[in-house]
Amino acid sequence: MRPEAQVDASLEITVLVSVGRHPITGRARRADQDARAVELARGVAGADVRLLHAGGKEADSEPALRGYLGMGFDALTLVEQPEGADALPALADALNEAPPQLVITGERAEQGEGSGLLPYLLAERLGWPVVSGLAAVESVDNGVATLLQALPRGQRRRLKVRLPAIVTVDGAAPAPRQSAYGPARRGHLAAVPGSVTVDEAWASWETQPARKRPKRLKIVKAASARDRFKAAAAKAEGGGGQVLTDVTAEEGAEAILKLLKEEGVLR
Amino acid sequence: MLDTLLPILIFAALGLAAIGVVRRVRLWRQGRPSPVPLVKGLASVPRRYLVDLHHVVARDKVMSNTHVATAGGFVAAAVLMVLVHGFGLAEGVLGWVLLAASATMFAGSCFVARRRRNPPARLSKGPWMRLPKSLMAFSLSVFAITLPAVGLLPEDFGSWVLALALSAVLVWGLGEMVFGMAWGGPMKHAFAGALHLAFHRRAERFGEGNRSTGLKALNLDDEDATLGVEKPSDFTWNQLLGFDACVQCGRCEAMCPAFAAGQPLNPKKLIQDMVVGMAGGSDANYAGSPYPGKPVGEHAGTPGGPIVAREGKALVDAETLWSCTTCRACVEECPMMIEHVDAIVDMRRFLTLEHGNTPNKGAEVLDNLIATDNPGGFAPDARMHWAADLELPLLADRGEAEVLLWLGDGAYDMRNQRTLRSLVKVLRAADVDFAVLGNEERDSGDVARRLGDEATFQSLAKRNIATLSKYRFQRIVTCDPHSFHVLGNEYGELGGHYEVRHHSTYIAELYEAGRLHFKPWKGGGVTYHDPCYLGRYNGEYEAPRNVLKALGIEVAEMERSGFRSRCCGGGGGAPITDIPGERRIPDMRMKDVGETGAEVVAVGCPQCTAMLEGVVDATAEVRDIAELVANALTEAPEASVGAARQSSNRPQAVEVA
Repeated sequence: MRPEAQVDASLEITVLVSVGRHPITGRARRADQDARAVELARGVAGADVRLLHAGGKEADSEPALRGYLGMGFDALTLVEQPEGADALPALADALNEAPPQLVITGERAEQGEGSGLLPYLLAERLGWPVVSGLAAVESVDNGVATLLQALPRGQRRRLKVRLPAIVTVDGAAPAPRQSAYGPARRGHLAAVPGSVTVDEAWASWETQPARKRPKRLKIVKAASARDRFKAAAAKAEGGGGQVLTDVTAEEGAEAILKLLKEEGVLR
Repeated sequence: MLDTLLPILIFAALGLAAIGVVRRVRLWRQGRPSPVPLVKGLASVPRRYLVDLHHVVARDKVMSNTHVATAGGFVAAAVLMVLVHGFGLAEGVLGWVLLAASATMFAGSCFVARRRRNPPARLSKGPWMRLPKSLMAFSLSVFAITLPAVGLLPEDFGSWVLALALSAVLVWGLGEMVFGMAWGGPMKHAFAGALHLAFHRRAERFGEGNRSTGLKALNLDDEDATLGVEKPSDFTWNQLLGFDACVQCGRCEAMCPAFAAGQPLNPKKLIQDMVVGMAGGSDANYAGSPYPGKPVGEHAGTPGGPIVAREGKALVDAETLWSCTTCRACVEECPMMIEHVDAIVDMRRFLTLEHGNTPNKGAEVLDNLIATDNPGGFAPDARMHWAADLELPLLADRGEAEVLLWLGDGAYDMRNQRTLRSLVKVLRAADVDFAVLGNEERDSGDVARRLGDEATFQSLAKRNIATLSKYRFQRIVTCDPHSFHVLGNEYGELGGHYEVRHHSTYIAELYEAGRLHFKPWKGGGVTYHDPCYLGRYNGEYEAPRNVLKALGIEVAEMERSGFRSRCCGGGGGAPITDIPGERRIPDMRMKDVGETGAEVVAVGCPQCTAMLEGVVDATAEVRDIAELVANALTEAPEASVGAARQSSNRPQAVEVA
């Protein structure tokens, strides 16, 4: 069911998939965002899509991983990791060994640290560009991908990026197809050995379920229904910020550096 | 001259028919194996034909008598013809009996011809239109050639021209009746139908009062097997045989709610498409009503080719399969005992389990069932929120109870919660020792199974069976006929055997035992809508009516009620897959209700309640039987105070409404 392997330089895409966690019952499942990433990859014409997961092969994670196979794959590469290991080096090694042109990931994992940093750290390690929040991969020509990035309030931005690159999907990406039980069960979880780096900091952490905090309601004084609707639909907008156009690279870089210092990101 | 010609003609026809039979049997044997008792099956044909099949045919008296005359006459005439003219045994009584048989057949074929003069839309035309003429040709020619044999006419009556003309008519008759029977003509139904009765996949459905309505479990242990039916040859051989038995009478079509709603399903066409698929070819020769909105002639298939294409067209479009509400009206009506719903679910299993193509909300509902054990995706520990003030006893605390009240997923639905509260009030009024599973309960798996997700069904069923096995109870009572059906008829194959009662049955029992007392009914006219999964699936037509009678209600029956009740449109996951049609099924049903002039339609199913209450501008209110009963509850009248006093120290009924 995988697209016919094309000998002549077909586009190789690797999708990083993780074991998700259902928000209500906490049962392991295919992670929603990662499933969207798979769907995005399936939508790229002529692509050879591979699935890669670094993690344990616990009893409940297998059906979750098979959920991705049920989207029409014969195999999923599993870089086995013990509990508490850092997935980043293992993934970086696996990608380095057989580098694809495009890596697609979800925005953040549904369990574990779920910091959303993995794509960035991975890009840093591999030295690849990273593009976040994709709604679509429009085309790939001569090693350059045309991407559609989702921005707030339905806006879209078209970007061109030279491959190889790492991209993450947005909730605006196409919804994942149904996972079929038969292919999921027949698919192969291909375990490969990988480097193991124990995350020492993680061992000392204490985890507990997050508490839902009450949200402060915004009090809107509006005269008309239109105003109330606008207020309800409005996204919080930062007061500051400035748009720089037609500036040199140095001026732009200086402005960014200044902002980062103001915000305390850089000291 | 006829003396030499007749045996040649007869044995030539029989020989050709034998070849056709072998070919036809080969077509069926493309199917998957399904063991059947060979001799016992064949021996049971007369009884299944004369009792079970005739019971269905006899719903149409004229057609029934027509068929008795035609078919009975034909079978007798055919056998005697071989003896009299084939072997020349004309002496004695045989010839006279043959005359009588062919005359009877001729009389029957006249009625067949009369029905074909202005045939109703449900009947297939095409080759079926020539059938009365063929019947007449056979019966008349057999009658005529027998006249000289018994001596009513001289042996050399007429000229050789007449003999030749008579032979020509006989050839036509033999061609249709003997050759055509084995080579796929309209008479195929007699040959395939008889074998279908013998080797029916649900042998247990035959016999007085027997029914077999639970879906058969899919074997999930074999990892390499294709799950469900992808191509015609994936059906079991006796299913293929069953498709071949179809007479294209269209009774199924006339009863199908999806067809009436203009959704792209016609059970008769579906069966014919399977016949086309098993032999290979296109549906261009089909001469009945098409699937609404789908012209005939655009679909084709082969025994080894897919029934539903991933893209484009094959034998059947997926939306045809997803239009079915699994109401079983077609199966109930089918005089040939064909199991349409089994076939549809078999094909749905493939679409869901192998293609991952459950339409519309199907995938979401199945994902919810997997992740949260209920189709709505609600938190499992919120299942009892509706009953926070009722202090329902939990089986987990009690360990045993006389009655396990199975709530169903209606526990999450605010409308159904009113029904559940009423039911609790009724049970308490009757001092029933009951308990609930509470948060330990899961979806019964009904929707998952009808949507073809056998894996999720079996997972839910096995976990429910494990939960139920921890406790002791005498029976399960539920207000959801779907749970009732699944728990009672489908869990057995997976190891769960329970005595299950629909709440209407249980309330009727309580009333008969004198444990409930009702105020006289003061409302307006009431009609009753039979839920498919209570009526046709489980044969319970009486208890709800008895309860309504006990309430003092005289039910104004709809034209389609009882075993012919029209579906509300809520079964089989149809509201989830939501295939568009020209009308909505519940609208049509509410129109049926309106025609009775009733102000209230009594129902006994959460799906029916939801579907019928969703009708805009309805002329009647929808009330569950439990609600009607709860509203009519009253203290025991003076005469039975003694009985009531004995139980005065038991927990009292509490007001819940």
